[in-house]
Amino acid sequence: MIKPLLTVCLASLVLSIGCRSADAPATPASSSAPASGGDLVASVRSEPATYNRLLPNGQSAATELFTLLTQSRLARVNRVTDELEAWLAEAWTLGADGLTYTMTLRPDVKFSDGHPFTTDDVLFSFRVVYDPGVNSSLADAMKVNGAPIEVTARDARTLTLRFPEVFAPGLRMLDNLPILPKHRLEAAFAKGELAKAWSPSRPLSEIAGLGPFVLAEHVAGQRLVFTRNPHYFRRDAKGIQLPYLDRLTLAVTPDQNTEALRLEAAEVDLMMNADVRPQDHAAFKRLADQGKLRMMDVSVALDPDFLSFNLRPARAAQRRAPWMNLREFRQAISCGVDRQAIVNAVYLGAAVPIYGPITPGNKRWYSADAPSCPIDRDKARALLAGAGLTDRNGDGLVDDASGKPARFSIITHAGHLRERVSSVLQEQLRQLGIQVDVVALDPGGIAQRWQAGDYDAIYFGLQASATDPSLSPEFWYSAGSFHFWNPSQKSPATPWEQRIDELMREVATTPDLPQRQRAFAEVQKILGEELPSIYFVAARVSIATTARVLNPTPAPQIPQLLWSADTLARAR
Amino acid sequence: MRRGLLRYFVRRTAFAALLVLVVSSAAMLLADLAPGDAFSGFDLDPAVAAAERHRLGFDRPFVAQYGSWLGRAMRFDLGESVKYRRPVVELVAERSSKTALLGATALILATVVGIPAGIFTGSRRTLLTRATSAASLVILSVPSLVTSFGLLLLASRTGWLPVGGFSGGADGSFWLTTGRYLVLPAIALALPIAATLERLQSQALNDALADPSVRAAVARGCSERRIVWRHAFRLSLTTVLAIYGVIVGTVLSGSFAVEIVTSWPGLGALMFEALVARDLFLVAGCAAVGAMLLAGGILLSDIALAVADPRLEELA
Repeated sequence: MIKPLLTVCLASLVLSIGCRSADAPATPASSSAPASGGDLVASVRSEPATYNRLLPNGQSAATELFTLLTQSRLARVNRVTDELEAWLAEAWTLGADGLTYTMTLRPDVKFSDGHPFTTDDVLFSFRVVYDPGVNSSLADAMKVNGAPIEVTARDARTLTLRFPEVFAPGLRMLDNLPILPKHRLEAAFAKGELAKAWSPSRPLSEIAGLGPFVLAEHVAGQRLVFTRNPHYFRRDAKGIQLPYLDRLTLAVTPDQNTEALRLEAAEVDLMMNADVRPQDHAAFKRLADQGKLRMMDVSVALDPDFLSFNLRPARAAQRRAPWMNLREFRQAISCGVDRQAIVNAVYLGAAVPIYGPITPGNKRWYSADAPSCPIDRDKARALLAGAGLTDRNGDGLVDDASGKPARFSIITHAGHLRERVSSVLQEQLRQLGIQVDVVALDPGGIAQRWQAGDYDAIYFGLQASATDPSLSPEFWYSAGSFHFWNPSQKSPATPWEQRIDELMREVATTPDLPQRQRAFAEVQKILGEELPSIYFVAARVSIATTARVLNPTPAPQIPQLLWSADTLARAR
Repeated sequence: MRRGLLRYFVRRTAFAALLVLVVSSAAMLLADLAPGDAFSGFDLDPAVAAAERHRLGFDRPFVAQYGSWLGRAMRFDLGESVKYRRPVVELVAERSSKTALLGATALILATVVGIPAGIFTGSRRTLLTRATSAASLVILSVPSLVTSFGLLLLASRTGWLPVGGFSGGADGSFWLTTGRYLVLPAIALALPIAATLERLQSQALNDALADPSVRAAVARGCSERRIVWRHAFRLSLTTVLAIYGVIVGTVLSGSFAVEIVTSWPGLGALMFEALVARDLFLVAGCAAVGAMLLAGGILLSDIALAVADPRLEELA
């Protein structure tokens, strides 16, 4: 009895391997033109806690992706060209005052439930985002210098948006705001129950949107299945109704290693965070050579990691390491680190050395003139001496005037590449005579230590929501809550921060782009000299998908491919 | 049921309830003591975070939060998850069935493989039994995490099984699909348990074979098969059953890592998300349900032990 059973099992196994080979796409995907139909599977590491991006817990990457797939905004920033595109709005004009935009909405646009889209929905969305009771995580991003935009409707298709002051990025700000269906959410909003309205415990039929897809199924911890929105407003150049795909499944895969293996096995077609890790590059490349995967080099990443020192006055008052507040010390660190060694050892070559917060990937705002200091240990030692740090007792470690050795700790992200970079920094700084302790924590722990100001230095990274620096005021201005090295200052603590504030005001309020770029180049120059945060490397973003994925438009930001999911197609 | 046995089970049930309370409270306390809270993060403006903390009462002292949680927990209300804004009971109910399914499958698999293997290695000395014992030691020394990765890699390279995840009912018959997705995490979880059982059973059988009653059976000329299965195995069973409750606990703690690596949508994966998000009530809820499963497992093994060894009733 056992033998026949074994034979059947083996036969099934052989057949299943045979079927698997037959399933593998033989033709390169790029040779086909996109056409409607088919489905793709993408992996995501977490699932949305809410379906409403405007809520305080709607800031997660998963909710942001859900919003990209199911909702639309008035205007979109194309993540490849970095240009602003008309989206739900078909056109706009800027008034002579430089403050008021008059905007016309596309005609005959409908929500996924067939309800017509009008200016009422836009007014409702702005009301929700600014409502203090909602406490939206997007509220600040939709304000200019702390003041909201006044939005009024002339009729069902015409809007005016009045900015509180001249704001150079202008309507790029609208890329943040999904337009919500008033007819679905107004009652809950009026009752103060918006948080419960689109929670995963509510029926999916209550959700309506203007995006390319509709959520058809969400099985907690397993998958989210999206089907085509029959009322989606976009068509391609040939007039084919978008999205091309009939179905898009997001398979929940919390572990990054498993995610990579699922892509290798073609169980998923792409990853939400599609950036290939250095350690996966060789395996993916091998499969790409066999025609099973497709790899694309996108660009240098836009949001590099940084080593930021704690320059808060309270920390300085403790006088634990007063030399940390000296520019020469920070410059010594920058000059004393071999960036190429980090590129080679940690990123296996898939990165470039950098010296400031804006990478070459951000073509519009990158300044090649910002100060740089390639590895020069003699210069670094001279700078340390200038900061009063020399080896006074011949033990190989530099000491301050009181004979105390220069020692500080770096808090970093446990289990991430950042932890390995921190180890390389530790080793390289030891060669300069500086002792470094690396403390690896999870992001929540790092954030708590940062908020409490309880750290010497942090090696971490922040993801900016936009390429235009004026849309990240919380980072650049000294009063900003994410002005990393010394946040929420009542008045600028240093003359150079005061100068950056002035320049950033100019960047934000000057309509002329070259003038804005010049002002921002000066900001980068100041940061390159003062180095409150030191930047070492920026990863090169490369993307991998199965050969089934057709018509990808990869961008450097997450989600690199799903940001334009309506034009993704499946190879036949 | 006799009175002594009943009293024994009442005591064990009370202990189980206490275990659930202590485990969930300790989990909540530890999550609170860890740096950061549900609103610490670089993706949330500190002002928005502070307002949310205040609105949801997380700016109150821990004792006050714990007190109100405990009051609600007595009425089987485990609070609301901060991350998901959903009742914790709803969230853990969705996931605990998957963990129970994985755990039960792994236990059955481990028992079916481990016990006979232990009898085999405990009853004779051959090259094969030595190799089996050595294999058990190797498996025991490899964490489930590594086994899971190894199996995932195998699945990825061969295509024999899905590379983790779960898709019950999405593509075909529910049980067939569930079975396909269950094989890999169940094997990863079962392997170290099977090795433990093999080692335990082997040692217990060895000891039992030296027992005077078994030696008397040998002297009476009983066949080897009868001696092993009829006499020594029954004697050795008490030792194995006594440790079975602890093994149930191993299944749960082991499934934590296996679930995350293999993307199995169970309680372990939810607990991990809750810990990362510092979602206090969800952490406590997951711990409570985990403790319930553990307590249930221990209770079942106690029952089995009491049935197998009537002396326990006398002790009660």
